[in-house]
Amino acid sequence: MHLIELHSVNFQYENSAQPALQNISLSVDEGEYLALVGNNGSGKSTLVRLFNGLRLASSGTVLAAGKNPAERANLQCIRRTITIVFQSPTDQIVSSCVEEDVAFGPSNLGLSQAEIDVRVQMALQAVGLLEHAKRPTRFLSGGQQQKLAIAGALAMQPRCIIFDEATSMLDPKTRASVLSLMKELSEQGIAIIHVTHDMDEATQAGRIIALDKGRLVYDGKPEGFFTAGERPQSLSLAESLGLELPSVLKLARSWGLTLPLNASYQDMAKQLVAAAGQGKTGISVSSANGGSSLSQKSPQPRNDVLFFTQIEAIRYNNVRFSYLSGTTNEVMALKDVSFLIPKGTMIAFVGMTGSGKSTALQLANALLKPVSGDVLIFGRNTREKSVDLKALRMNAPFSIQRPESALFEAHAADDVAFGPRNQGLKGPALVRRVETWMNRAGLPFIEFRDRLIKTLSGGEKRKLALAGVFALESDTLLLDEPGAALDPGSRASVFSLLEQLHEQGKTILFATHSMDEAIRADLVAVFKDGCLMAFGPPRDVFYRDYEESWGIDRPRIVQFAMALEAEGANLPYYPVSAEEALSLFEAGRLP
Amino acid sequence: MKNLEFFRNISIGQYIDSHSLFHGLRPATKYLLLLGLMLLAIAAPTLAGAGFAFFAALVLAQFSKVPLSFLLRSLKPIFPVIILSFMLQFLFRWPGDSSITLISLGIFSLTVRELWVVAMILIRAAAMMTIVGWFTSITTEAEAAKGIEDIARPISSKTLPIHRLALAVAAAIRFIPIIAGELEEIVKAQASRGADFGQDTKGLLAKARAYLPLFVPVTIRALERAEMLAEAMEARCYTGEGQTVAPKTPMKRSEVLIRFSVPIIVIGVLVVDVYFISTWIRPY
Repeated sequence: MHLIELHSVNFQYENSAQPALQNISLSVDEGEYLALVGNNGSGKSTLVRLFNGLRLASSGTVLAAGKNPAERANLQCIRRTITIVFQSPTDQIVSSCVEEDVAFGPSNLGLSQAEIDVRVQMALQAVGLLEHAKRPTRFLSGGQQQKLAIAGALAMQPRCIIFDEATSMLDPKTRASVLSLMKELSEQGIAIIHVTHDMDEATQAGRIIALDKGRLVYDGKPEGFFTAGERPQSLSLAESLGLELPSVLKLARSWGLTLPLNASYQDMAKQLVAAAGQGKTGISVSSANGGSSLSQKSPQPRNDVLFFTQIEAIRYNNVRFSYLSGTTNEVMALKDVSFLIPKGTMIAFVGMTGSGKSTALQLANALLKPVSGDVLIFGRNTREKSVDLKALRMNAPFSIQRPESALFEAHAADDVAFGPRNQGLKGPALVRRVETWMNRAGLPFIEFRDRLIKTLSGGEKRKLALAGVFALESDTLLLDEPGAALDPGSRASVFSLLEQLHEQGKTILFATHSMDEAIRADLVAVFKDGCLMAFGPPRDVFYRDYEESWGIDRPRIVQFAMALEAEGANLPYYPVSAEEALSLFEAGRLP
Repeated sequence: MKNLEFFRNISIGQYIDSHSLFHGLRPATKYLLLLGLMLLAIAAPTLAGAGFAFFAALVLAQFSKVPLSFLLRSLKPIFPVIILSFMLQFLFRWPGDSSITLISLGIFSLTVRELWVVAMILIRAAAMMTIVGWFTSITTEAEAAKGIEDIARPISSKTLPIHRLALAVAAAIRFIPIIAGELEEIVKAQASRGADFGQDTKGLLAKARAYLPLFVPVTIRALERAEMLAEAMEARCYTGEGQTVAPKTPMKRSEVLIRFSVPIIVIGVLVVDVYFISTWIRPY
């Protein structure tokens, strides 16, 4: 008997014209480890909710743990067998105390107190939170809260745990520890269903299920999903769906290399060095992914020092900042931070959750003001009484994480108009401004102006919210994780828009957990526990200064270059982009 | 306004985790202390009774390792009220007030009786604030909700399911900082796009208007988050009935002592205050 079985299942939300799931048939067995992938809005979350009766199929049959979830009496049995860990850590914690929260599930089953105590102990032990058992849940970090949610699922002694984008809001280090926990649980025989946008995470699974617009488009081994056909320009299924390849394969593909799915950077480096050693200039550059244009690039890296000769945009002078200052719960968020951001640069703030990135961003437009020290924005001190805060903020608008949550108008164009209207724009000028920025954000004005915001997809809402910020036409932009929780396609389009704005001379500050995004900036600032650990061009930060203790990974291109060097290649310079790495070979500089 | 950081870290009171004997009491016992001292502060007819309540709260705070400076700082908002009532006493007079006049300025005057009334307001307010401050310093939100559940359990029934009610209260309390965080984020997003926040230049009406556009997104986010929490609870087999009820462990001797002595002390002080001190101390 299968653990979960679906036969030609359809699902449609009450107020929606389109079905969310169409004709889905699949089965999941005991102890399987599978990844569920697809773009935002493809139906992944809806599908996993069918597995434990949180949603009921409109038609077709669902059997979970051998029982029909449509019958109320079966629900308890199904939900104790198939548990779920959700995306947002704070939204699934029921109690204010750690051990009480873990006990919530078992006590709903009516187990004896002795049994509950044993389960709580075991579950907390498994996720490494035993010493926090008595603590209030709100004092846990985001990562700890997510582990608490996993403990809550484990205490049910389930045969299957669903992770619904449960790693997407965590920083890379915490994410890695949650992933290894998932692997461990899988080895203990618990089936794992992992809903994710991260293809590296997906390859950890033994099986991949892909959804596209509510239809099942792939169910099988990861190899088949990520490997392209025989011809070099043919795309793999993952790419044709607008999803990414796993990072090693993606990089390999820009050189037209074919590698096995679980290949490491070392494997790729080995292969390249061997090819170069045999005098094969034919590290075949395929025409896919614009390979031909890459070869025309100059092999010389750009001059990183240039940026420091320009006008200063934002200056942090010995900035200290604390939340709840003057109370017993005071938290130091920034400790004596000093650095200078030249005008027209794109700068990435990186570091673990709680390291001070977001605080540093908010100080740059006077949403926060330093406890001591000064922040100067184009020479204006934010602590001066005479400063016009409104003008200052509109000239360096801050976009919160998930900016779509602040959309408030009913129609798309109205929301974009909010900022420009506050700048005093009216009539045709206002319309032109809104039109320009909606078009540039990838939401054609004609098509989207009268669309109801609530009917937009997640990616479209993000673009709309960003258009509303861009429409201020400010000199500076402050963005807190602009690409978070988006599918790879939407993420790429948000970033290419940022790069366009950068080319036009705007100063862009953004916080990110993705080092592959960070390395595309001109400058990188690394934060840890409120201190600035490193600041400079990505080449310096990621090659020369990098330290494991920062709690961040190296960008993949850097990992690759290090692997190349370890294989004995003699690099004339350290590449910070795929193009630069490629030109290492083009120029025949390798041994 | 100095910063747009006003919400995210708020909590109901400020729990101070200092592991004292009082932190370990059952929530119901803490409520008993809270209500006992509050009763005393309100009902005692003289400065002595209300003063005793104030003093007792300070002693409890000391034993609970709650910094007194922290509690006393929270008294600041009382003073404008005291000054206001002082002014009123000065401007108006009690009918039939024959006590000694201390200051007089034309038809306005301050008598001993009026001064006594102001002093009573001051001491009662100070006592109440300190007691509540002490209680929230040693009681987590979870305990506060659980205390209500323990106290109300005898009247729990099918029509009035106390357990569910307590869970709802606990969830609501836990949600305050979450929703406040949402509000703060949205305020920041709007301020970045030119909405008037953190500026003192505009009138009250303009300020109120600036907050209007927040209402929709905050409400939507609150509902969304509530829905997510409900779903998470449902996924963990919550149905509203059939939960395990934790068995009672026997109370510690010190706790039994506190439960017995609190009513005796409170009633004792009240009786002494009403029948002896209030007849003895008569300033007017």
